[in-house]
Amino acid sequence: MASTAATRAAAAASKVVKPIFSRDLDEAKRRVRQLYRAWYREIPNTVAMFQLDITTRQGRDKVRELFDKNKHITDPRVIDMLVIKGKLELEETIHVWKQKTHVMRYFYETEEPRPTDFLSKFYRGHDP
Amino acid sequence: MAASLVRFVRGGLGRGFNIARSSCLLQQQTRLQSSTTEASATIRPKDAVTHNQLAAFGEYVAEIMPKYIQQVQVTCYNELEVMIHPDGVIPVLTFLRDHTNAQFRNMIDQTAVDIPTRQNRFEIVYNLLSLRYNSRIRVKTYTDELTPVDSAVPVHKAANWYEREIWDMFGVFFANHPDLRRILTDYGFEGHPFRKDFPLSGYVEVRYDDEVKRVVAEPVELSQEFRKFDLNTPWEVFPAHREPKDAAPKLEAGDKAPEKK
Amino acid sequence: MAGLLKKTTGLVGLAVSQNPHERLRVLYSKILASVQTMPQDAAYRKYTEQLVNQRLDFVKTEPDVEKLEKKINSGQIEEVIFQAECELSLSRKMSEWKPWEPLIEEPPPNQWKWPI
Repeated sequence: MASTAATRAAAAASKVVKPIFSRDLDEAKRRVRQLYRAWYREIPNTVAMFQLDITTRQGRDKVRELFDKNKHITDPRVIDMLVIKGKLELEETIHVWKQKTHVMRYFYETEEPRPTDFLSKFYRGHDP
Repeated sequence: MAASLVRFVRGGLGRGFNIARSSCLLQQQTRLQSSTTEASATIRPKDAVTHNQLAAFGEYVAEIMPKYIQQVQVTCYNELEVMIHPDGVIPVLTFLRDHTNAQFRNMIDQTAVDIPTRQNRFEIVYNLLSLRYNSRIRVKTYTDELTPVDSAVPVHKAANWYEREIWDMFGVFFANHPDLRRILTDYGFEGHPFRKDFPLSGYVEVRYDDEVKRVVAEPVELSQEFRKFDLNTPWEVFPAHREPKDAAPKLEAGDKAPEKK
Repeated sequence: MAGLLKKTTGLVGLAVSQNPHERLRVLYSKILASVQTMPQDAAYRKYTEQLVNQRLDFVKTEPDVEKLEKKINSGQIEEVIFQAECELSLSRKMSEWKPWEPLIEEPPPNQWKWPI
């Protein structure tokens, strides 16, 4: 009984908002898995095409990390939006519209971690 | 600025169209000159003929498509504005393009406005031109970050890049767009720069790094906190937009037939 | 007749019509037929019928093309044909959209208030 009420409430809620693509969470999750699979298959090509100094394994780990960063999101519309943006990124990577610098931006190689304790902040000079 | 704003606000429950005429007082700015030869106010002259024509046409459109049109107004610069529900983008634009009395066949511009305090923060604005009648119209609709708007590309081919620009700059998703991707920002750019919550300095700064032999992007670091200046003027900037103190007289539109444009 | 005298409309993509009267009559009767399906009090039907009937009268009564163009006063006859074609496709779409129904949703409060 409670479950039917819940589904009805969910249906009412989904009727109010206009879905982007997915009607419910399962569909959105399916889209995420599709995108992840596409990225996973594309990584060896990317590494070869851009002549990156990383292994396929590292690339796939990075993809996984980027997907995991958003795993707390449960709203199907937000998931859809992220999937759309992920697809666009994938397209840019496949067509080599991006350059090496754009791909390597995911790895934050040159960034130094921000100092946290007082003394290292002090050594660094300024702390905006 | 001289301003008269005539609004046709929809009456509730199909009561026809109420016209709320709120003509504000003309703020007369008299420039005092030492020679005192001329003391007339610099006021934009009123063009009542054009104004009435546009008002009649706006009423005509609103009468034909009451399902989608929420409000019609003629601004003080004699620009006709039609506010529509986001579901009505395709019908209203198609009607304006194909109807013999309208023929707004050219899309001049399409853009968005971000007003974060509203429930639907983005306004999508379509500017159309009718070469046949030498007339312009502005269609406005609204959306938020996550609600897709129907793409206008099936109606106007010109909308293609404009919608890509809006997607890039504001992050409004257009459903059924044939080629929605970034157009102005760099690959790998994150965020939508024209949103009001996008910082003025951006999130990253780029530089050439000698060690890795390529351009790298790093989080932007300002040597000084961004200062917030209080830039509000002490004068009233939009006197024409002051709230009317007394309730504007509501007039029934009556059954007068809108004249042909 | 017109085609013998008139070589071009001067507009790109708009060919000279050989028998504009026939074409217009067909188009206008099609528009009227498609408008018939709409409810009697729909504003679109009312205005379109009025407009089309007026033009159809001109087409029926005026055999000369140039005078007809003057009477309709909407450019060359080929442009009038083009307008009629657009109107026909629009009227078919309109009966699908049903824009004469009451407003689907009121705008959220203060949506159209400016300045904020």
